[in-house]
Amino acid sequence: MLKRGTLLLLWGLTLLWSFHSGRLDLLLRGVFHGLVGVTGLVLLMLGVSILLKREKQNERWRWPWLLSGVMAALVVILPPSPSFSDLASNRPQGLPNPPELAFVLPPEQRSLTEWVRLLRSQPDPDLVVGNPVRISGFVWRQPQGPPLIARLTVRCCLADATPAGLAVEWPLSFTPKTNQWLAINGTMSVQSRNKRRIPVVIPQNITPIARPERPLEP
Amino acid sequence: MDKLATAWAIFQGLLLEAVPFLLLGVAIAGLARWTVPPGTWIERLPKNPVLAPIIGALMGFALPACECGNVPVARRLLASGAPMGTAFGFLFAAPVLNPIVLASTWAAFPDQPWLLVARPLGAFLLAILLSLLLVQLPETQLLATALLEERRMSQPLSNLGLLQRNSGVIGGSPSTPRSISGRRPKAWQVLDQSCREFLDLLALLVLGCVLAALVQTWLPRSWLLAVGGAPTASILALMLLAVVVSVCSSVDAFLALGFAAQITPGALLAFLLLGPVVDLKLAGLFTVLMRPRAILITAVGASLGVLLIGQWINLWLL
Repeated sequence: MLKRGTLLLLWGLTLLWSFHSGRLDLLLRGVFHGLVGVTGLVLLMLGVSILLKREKQNERWRWPWLLSGVMAALVVILPPSPSFSDLASNRPQGLPNPPELAFVLPPEQRSLTEWVRLLRSQPDPDLVVGNPVRISGFVWRQPQGPPLIARLTVRCCLADATPAGLAVEWPLSFTPKTNQWLAINGTMSVQSRNKRRIPVVIPQNITPIARPERPLEP
Repeated sequence: MDKLATAWAIFQGLLLEAVPFLLLGVAIAGLARWTVPPGTWIERLPKNPVLAPIIGALMGFALPACECGNVPVARRLLASGAPMGTAFGFLFAAPVLNPIVLASTWAAFPDQPWLLVARPLGAFLLAILLSLLLVQLPETQLLATALLEERRMSQPLSNLGLLQRNSGVIGGSPSTPRSISGRRPKAWQVLDQSCREFLDLLALLVLGCVLAALVQTWLPRSWLLAVGGAPTASILALMLLAVVVSVCSSVDAFLALGFAAQITPGALLAFLLLGPVVDLKLAGLFTVLMRPRAILITAVGASLGVLLIGQWINLWLL
């Protein structure tokens, strides 16, 4: 009984720690955070109640339980630190239809994801030329051509993360590093790249920033 | 090293999202065992090979969880002696035929009414097909050993001998003795067994999530979507994607929304049908229900069924 109780306690603490430490912001969409916290609490209570019962039974450690206990400990010890650029490169770009809000918001209040949704919904990028842009995101390296500034959106967890990227005319004096988080102030313009007219952000100011507490967008 | 760190993060995301649903499924299975006296409603379930999976599939409306939560409930049904068709009908249809999944499909694709009909109907047909296929196997070749022993303890001696039960005067003691007298088990016993079941399933879920995270990190998803417009290739590619991504059925419609415009309608439906039945995350969990051969039959049968449904949809809509 001690072993079963200990393992439940360990998983309960792992889930509660993940909930409390804020690391869920990096892994799951916000609507699931409470569910993880409640599950952690339930497992913790089950573990404690089994340990308090102290029935003397010979219960052997089964190897799958041992493995599960080791993984629970590793989840606590090793925080997630994904390469956002790798994640984005591995996924197709395909955001859901734009919410109406993106059209209503003034340009300088649009997030990077809202800009991408807006630009995909209207075929003529010239309509937004000259609009002010204030966005933040990570540097997403491209196999060909200059890197993009990007954000990841999730519907469920990191496994379904979908990138939204915008082209930037990087100044010669600035070398963007892959996965580096940047805040960019500038204006929107249109350039011809690979025989296509695409929207490009012309930065007036680029500031390296820390990774936001909630780097994933819905 | 970057890829390993990314795989570790995907693993944590998949696991932490799935654990609450697993606990919910185990809790419902335990609650059903405690509140409903064994040998009453289970005995009234139809044993007809076609009617049994239909009833099982419709029972999905009672459990608004994804596929991880359905495994412990299906296991409890089988262990309690429910007709196999009912348990498998539930297992394969419930991840789609439940209110949350139907609502999320509607929310993601409000402009595609055909999908709102085709997804539940396809899941229903697939569940019946797989149930009919699996019940052709004898129980001894179909069910996992521990589950088979537990199931036999719940069946009357008129159906099974003591030797087959591996219990009684002849043979050893069963690992988990159960009463078939119709008496309600003690709450503590149910809680104890549910905790053990949860930990067993959790270990298998961990393995499935490790596998899914590794494959996802090293298999670029864009390769699978590159064949988007080709009718058959797109269906096969999206089926493979559904198996690899292992995202739960309550949100897979939103994920599909991201690439729906690039693929054929048949491929879209194939993604939404196959993932809830067969994926890498489920691979370990299924071992508590079925023997490897039966799991293989499930995977192959589901893939062929989904391929046919997808092709038919492409012929109809393209």
